[in-house]
Amino acid sequence: MMSSSKRQLQKENTRKKIIATAYQVYAKQGFTATTAVIAKEAGVSHGTIFVHFPSLDELLTCLIQDFGDTLALETHKLSESNNVGELLRTYVSVLAKYEDFYIRLISERSLLPEDIQMIYANIQSTVAYHFNKVIEREGENQTIKKIPIHVVFNTWMGLLHYYLLNKDFFSPEMPLLERYGSELITTFLELIKK
Amino acid sequence: MKVCIACGMPMNEISDFPGGDTGKNYCIHCARPDGSMQSFEEKKAGMISFIVKTQGFDEKAAAKIAENTMRKLPAWKEYF
Repeated sequence: MMSSSKRQLQKENTRKKIIATAYQVYAKQGFTATTAVIAKEAGVSHGTIFVHFPSLDELLTCLIQDFGDTLALETHKLSESNNVGELLRTYVSVLAKYEDFYIRLISERSLLPEDIQMIYANIQSTVAYHFNKVIEREGENQTIKKIPIHVVFNTWMGLLHYYLLNKDFFSPEMPLLERYGSELITTFLELIKK
Repeated sequence: MKVCIACGMPMNEISDFPGGDTGKNYCIHCARPDGSMQSFEEKKAGMISFIVKTQGFDEKAAAKIAENTMRKLPAWKEYF
Protein backbone atom coordinates (compact mmCIF):
# COMPACT_ATOMS: atom_id res chain seq x y z
CA MET A 1 0.00 0.00 0.00
CA MET A 2 1.16 3.50 -0.78
CA SER A 3 2.15 5.68 2.16
CA SER A 4 0.06 8.80 2.69
CA SER A 5 3.01 11.12 2.00
CA LYS A 6 3.70 9.31 -1.25
CA ARG A 7 0.05 9.59 -2.20
CA GLN A 8 0.16 13.28 -1.31
CA LEU A 9 3.17 13.75 -3.54
CA GLN A 10 1.49 11.92 -6.38
CA LYS A 11 -1.59 14.09 -5.98
CA GLU A 12 0.56 17.22 -6.07
CA ASN A 13 2.31 15.99 -9.23
CA THR A 14 -1.01 15.33 -10.92
CA ARG A 15 -2.18 18.81 -10.03
CA LYS A 16 0.98 20.33 -11.49
CA LYS A 17 0.57 18.24 -14.63
CA ILE A 18 -3.02 19.45 -15.07
CA ILE A 19 -1.97 23.08 -14.62
CA ALA A 20 0.94 22.82 -17.06
CA THR A 21 -1.25 21.07 -19.63
CA ALA A 22 -4.09 23.54 -19.20
CA TYR A 23 -1.69 26.42 -19.95
CA GLN A 24 -0.62 24.70 -23.15
CA VAL A 25 -4.12 23.76 -24.27
CA TYR A 26 -5.59 27.21 -23.64
CA ALA A 27 -2.57 28.83 -25.31
CA LYS A 28 -3.06 26.68 -28.38
CA GLN A 29 -6.85 26.43 -28.62
CA GLY A 30 -8.12 29.39 -26.63
CA PHE A 31 -10.55 29.43 -23.73
CA THR A 32 -13.27 27.52 -25.57
CA ALA A 33 -11.13 24.36 -25.17
CA THR A 34 -12.88 21.79 -22.98
CA THR A 35 -11.67 20.12 -19.80
CA ALA A 36 -12.02 16.81 -21.66
CA VAL A 37 -9.26 17.92 -24.02
CA ILE A 38 -7.08 19.02 -21.09
CA ALA A 39 -7.62 15.63 -19.39
CA LYS A 40 -6.72 13.75 -22.57
CA GLU A 41 -3.57 15.81 -23.15
CA ALA A 42 -2.53 15.45 -19.51
CA GLY A 43 -3.09 11.71 -19.63
CA VAL A 44 -5.58 11.71 -16.75
CA SER A 45 -9.25 10.79 -16.57
CA HIS A 46 -11.79 13.55 -16.97
CA GLY A 47 -12.95 13.02 -13.40
CA THR A 48 -9.43 13.54 -12.05
CA ILE A 49 -9.49 17.16 -13.20
CA PHE A 50 -12.57 17.78 -11.07
CA VAL A 51 -10.96 16.18 -8.04
CA HIS A 52 -8.36 18.93 -8.21
CA PHE A 53 -10.55 21.70 -9.61
CA PRO A 54 -14.21 21.22 -8.68
CA SER A 55 -15.29 23.67 -11.38
CA LEU A 56 -13.94 25.10 -14.61
CA ASP A 57 -13.88 28.54 -12.98
CA GLU A 58 -11.57 27.23 -10.29
CA LEU A 59 -9.15 25.91 -12.87
CA LEU A 60 -9.19 29.22 -14.77
CA THR A 61 -8.80 31.20 -11.56
CA CYS A 62 -5.83 29.11 -10.53
CA LEU A 63 -4.11 29.51 -13.92
CA ILE A 64 -4.59 33.25 -14.25
CA GLN A 65 -3.80 33.89 -10.59
CA ASP A 66 -0.66 31.79 -10.85
CA PHE A 67 0.50 33.77 -13.86
CA GLY A 68 -0.38 37.05 -12.12
CA ASP A 69 1.46 36.06 -8.94
CA THR A 70 4.62 35.27 -10.88
CA LEU A 71 4.40 38.57 -12.71
CA ALA A 72 3.70 40.51 -9.50
CA LEU A 73 6.54 38.88 -7.60
CA GLU A 74 9.12 39.53 -10.31
CA THR A 75 8.10 43.13 -10.93
CA HIS A 76 7.75 43.82 -7.19
CA LYS A 77 11.45 43.09 -6.75
CA LEU A 78 12.26 45.82 -9.27
CA SER A 79 9.72 48.40 -8.20
CA GLU A 80 12.22 49.78 -5.69
CA SER A 81 14.67 50.56 -8.46
CA ASN A 82 14.68 53.78 -10.37
CA ASN A 83 15.20 52.19 -13.72
CA VAL A 84 12.12 51.84 -15.85
CA GLY A 85 14.08 49.96 -18.53
CA GLU A 86 15.02 47.27 -16.04
CA LEU A 87 11.41 46.96 -14.90
CA LEU A 88 10.19 46.57 -18.47
CA ARG A 89 12.83 43.99 -19.33
CA THR A 90 11.81 41.87 -16.35
CA TYR A 91 8.13 42.34 -17.17
CA VAL A 92 8.67 41.28 -20.77
CA SER A 93 10.79 38.28 -19.76
CA VAL A 94 7.98 36.96 -17.54
CA LEU A 95 5.37 37.57 -20.25
CA ALA A 96 7.60 35.76 -22.74
CA LYS A 97 7.25 32.56 -20.70
CA TYR A 98 3.46 32.81 -20.94
CA GLU A 99 3.28 34.49 -24.35
CA ASP A 100 0.64 32.39 -26.12
CA PHE A 101 -1.47 32.08 -22.98
CA TYR A 102 -1.27 35.83 -22.41
CA ILE A 103 -2.32 36.55 -26.00
CA ARG A 104 -5.41 34.38 -25.44
CA LEU A 105 -6.08 36.16 -22.17
CA ILE A 106 -6.07 39.62 -23.73
CA SER A 107 -7.82 38.67 -26.96
CA GLU A 108 -10.53 36.45 -25.44
CA ARG A 109 -11.04 38.19 -22.12
CA SER A 110 -14.69 39.00 -22.82
CA LEU A 111 -15.45 35.27 -23.19
CA LEU A 112 -14.42 34.63 -19.60
CA PRO A 113 -16.76 34.87 -16.59
CA GLU A 114 -16.68 38.31 -14.99
CA ASP A 115 -14.97 37.11 -11.81
CA ILE A 116 -12.11 35.75 -13.86
CA GLN A 117 -11.88 38.95 -15.89
CA MET A 118 -11.46 40.77 -12.61
CA ILE A 119 -8.35 38.74 -11.85
CA TYR A 120 -6.89 40.14 -15.06
CA ALA A 121 -7.90 43.65 -13.97
CA ASN A 122 -6.19 43.02 -10.67
CA ILE A 123 -2.99 41.88 -12.37
CA GLN A 124 -2.99 45.05 -14.48
CA SER A 125 -3.47 47.17 -11.36
CA THR A 126 -0.48 45.55 -9.72
CA VAL A 127 1.66 46.07 -12.80
CA ALA A 128 0.47 49.70 -12.98
CA TYR A 129 1.35 50.11 -9.30
CA HIS A 130 4.95 48.96 -9.83
CA PHE A 131 5.21 50.97 -13.02
CA ASN A 132 3.95 54.06 -11.21
CA LYS A 133 6.50 53.70 -8.41
CA VAL A 134 9.43 53.58 -10.78
CA ILE A 135 8.12 56.28 -13.11
CA GLU A 136 7.48 58.63 -10.19
CA ARG A 137 11.03 58.14 -9.01
CA GLU A 138 12.36 58.77 -12.52
CA GLY A 139 10.11 61.82 -12.64
CA GLU A 140 11.70 63.16 -9.45
CA ASN A 141 15.10 62.72 -11.04
CA GLN A 142 13.75 64.53 -14.11
CA THR A 143 14.84 61.77 -16.44
CA ILE A 144 11.49 61.40 -18.19
CA LYS A 145 9.09 63.77 -19.90
CA LYS A 146 6.16 65.28 -18.05
CA ILE A 147 3.33 63.06 -19.22
CA PRO A 148 0.43 61.95 -16.99
CA ILE A 149 1.32 58.57 -15.48
CA HIS A 150 -1.73 56.76 -16.85
CA VAL A 151 -0.86 57.86 -20.38
CA VAL A 152 2.71 56.63 -19.99
CA PHE A 153 1.40 53.28 -18.76
CA ASN A 154 -1.31 52.99 -21.42
CA THR A 155 1.10 53.95 -24.19
CA TRP A 156 3.37 51.07 -23.18
CA MET A 157 0.45 48.65 -22.85
CA GLY A 158 -1.03 49.80 -26.15
CA LEU A 159 2.26 49.25 -27.96
CA LEU A 160 2.88 45.87 -26.36
CA HIS A 161 -0.64 44.57 -26.84
CA TYR A 162 -0.82 45.74 -30.48
CA TYR A 163 2.18 43.59 -31.31
CA LEU A 164 0.93 40.65 -29.27
CA LEU A 165 -2.59 40.76 -30.71
CA ASN A 166 -1.17 40.81 -34.23
CA LYS A 167 1.51 38.21 -33.63
CA ASP A 168 0.43 36.33 -36.77
CA PHE A 169 1.51 39.35 -38.84
CA PHE A 170 4.58 40.41 -36.85
CA SER A 171 6.11 37.10 -35.97
CA PRO A 172 4.20 34.07 -37.23
CA GLU A 173 7.02 31.62 -36.83
CA MET A 174 8.76 32.57 -33.62
CA PRO A 175 7.82 33.95 -30.20
CA LEU A 176 6.95 37.61 -30.65
CA LEU A 177 8.64 38.93 -27.51
CA GLU A 178 11.83 37.10 -28.35
CA ARG A 179 11.85 38.88 -31.69
CA TYR A 180 10.49 42.32 -30.76
CA GLY A 181 10.72 42.65 -26.96
CA SER A 182 14.00 44.60 -26.91
CA GLU A 183 12.97 46.85 -29.79
CA LEU A 184 9.67 47.73 -28.10
CA ILE A 185 11.39 48.55 -24.81
CA THR A 186 14.11 50.64 -26.44
CA THR A 187 11.63 52.56 -28.56
CA PHE A 188 9.30 53.20 -25.65
CA LEU A 189 12.15 54.48 -23.50
CA GLU A 190 13.25 56.82 -26.27
CA LEU A 191 9.71 58.18 -26.45
CA ILE A 192 9.41 58.96 -22.75
CA LYS A 193 12.97 59.94 -21.85
CA LYS A 194 14.04 63.56 -21.80
CA MET B 1 6.93 36.80 4.11
CA LYS B 2 3.87 38.71 5.25
CA VAL B 3 1.17 39.87 2.87
CA CYS B 4 -0.88 42.95 3.74
CA ILE B 5 -4.36 41.90 4.92
CA ALA B 6 -5.88 45.07 3.49
CA CYS B 7 -4.37 45.31 -0.01
CA GLY B 8 -2.43 42.09 -0.66
CA MET B 9 0.97 43.72 -1.07
CA PRO B 10 3.94 41.55 -0.06
CA MET B 11 5.76 43.11 2.91
CA ASN B 12 9.46 42.28 2.69
CA GLU B 13 11.12 45.43 3.99
CA ILE B 14 10.78 47.17 7.34
CA SER B 15 9.82 50.26 5.36
CA ASP B 16 6.72 48.40 4.11
CA PHE B 17 5.30 48.40 7.66
CA PRO B 18 3.55 51.37 9.32
CA GLY B 19 6.11 53.07 11.53
CA GLY B 20 8.48 50.18 10.81
CA ASP B 21 6.37 47.98 13.13
CA THR B 22 6.75 44.46 11.71
CA GLY B 23 4.11 43.20 14.14
CA LYS B 24 1.45 44.89 12.00
CA ASN B 25 -0.47 42.85 9.45
CA TYR B 26 -1.18 45.77 7.15
CA CYS B 27 1.23 47.81 5.07
CA ILE B 28 2.25 51.43 5.08
CA HIS B 29 -0.14 52.23 2.21
CA CYS B 30 -3.10 50.96 4.24
CA ALA B 31 -2.24 52.87 7.39
CA ARG B 32 -3.48 56.29 8.51
CA PRO B 33 -0.90 58.90 9.50
CA ASP B 34 -1.32 57.79 13.16
CA GLY B 35 -0.45 54.18 12.22
CA SER B 36 -3.94 52.68 12.59
CA MET B 37 -5.47 50.78 9.68
CA GLN B 38 -7.66 52.69 7.23
CA SER B 39 -11.40 52.03 7.24
CA PHE B 40 -13.15 50.12 4.45
CA GLU B 41 -14.42 53.35 2.91
CA GLU B 42 -11.03 55.05 3.14
CA LYS B 43 -9.26 52.11 1.54
CA LYS B 44 -11.86 51.77 -1.20
CA ALA B 45 -11.65 55.46 -2.07
CA GLY B 46 -7.85 55.24 -2.08
CA MET B 47 -7.84 52.24 -4.39
CA ILE B 48 -10.29 53.85 -6.81
CA SER B 49 -8.31 57.03 -7.10
CA PHE B 50 -5.11 55.06 -7.53
CA ILE B 51 -6.57 53.02 -10.39
CA VAL B 52 -7.87 56.19 -12.05
CA LYS B 53 -4.50 57.88 -11.62
CA THR B 54 -2.31 55.03 -12.82
CA GLN B 55 -4.51 53.52 -15.53
CA GLY B 56 -6.94 56.28 -16.45
CA PHE B 57 -9.99 54.03 -16.07
CA ASP B 58 -13.54 55.27 -15.68
CA GLU B 59 -14.41 55.82 -12.02
CA LYS B 60 -17.28 53.30 -11.94
CA ALA B 61 -15.16 50.64 -13.60
CA ALA B 62 -12.35 51.40 -11.16
CA ALA B 63 -14.79 51.02 -8.23
CA LYS B 64 -15.79 47.58 -9.48
CA ILE B 65 -12.15 46.51 -9.70
CA ALA B 66 -11.37 47.91 -6.25
CA GLU B 67 -14.34 46.10 -4.68
CA ASN B 68 -13.40 42.88 -6.34
CA THR B 69 -9.86 43.12 -5.04
CA MET B 70 -11.06 43.93 -1.51
CA ARG B 71 -13.54 41.05 -1.53
CA LYS B 72 -10.65 38.58 -1.52
CA LEU B 73 -8.67 40.20 1.30
CA PRO B 74 -8.93 39.05 4.93
CA ALA B 75 -9.33 42.57 6.31
CA TRP B 76 -12.64 43.19 4.53
CA LYS B 77 -14.43 39.83 4.79
CA GLU B 78 -17.32 41.21 6.86
CA TYR B 79 -18.13 43.84 4.21
CA PHE B 80 -19.14 41.34 1.53
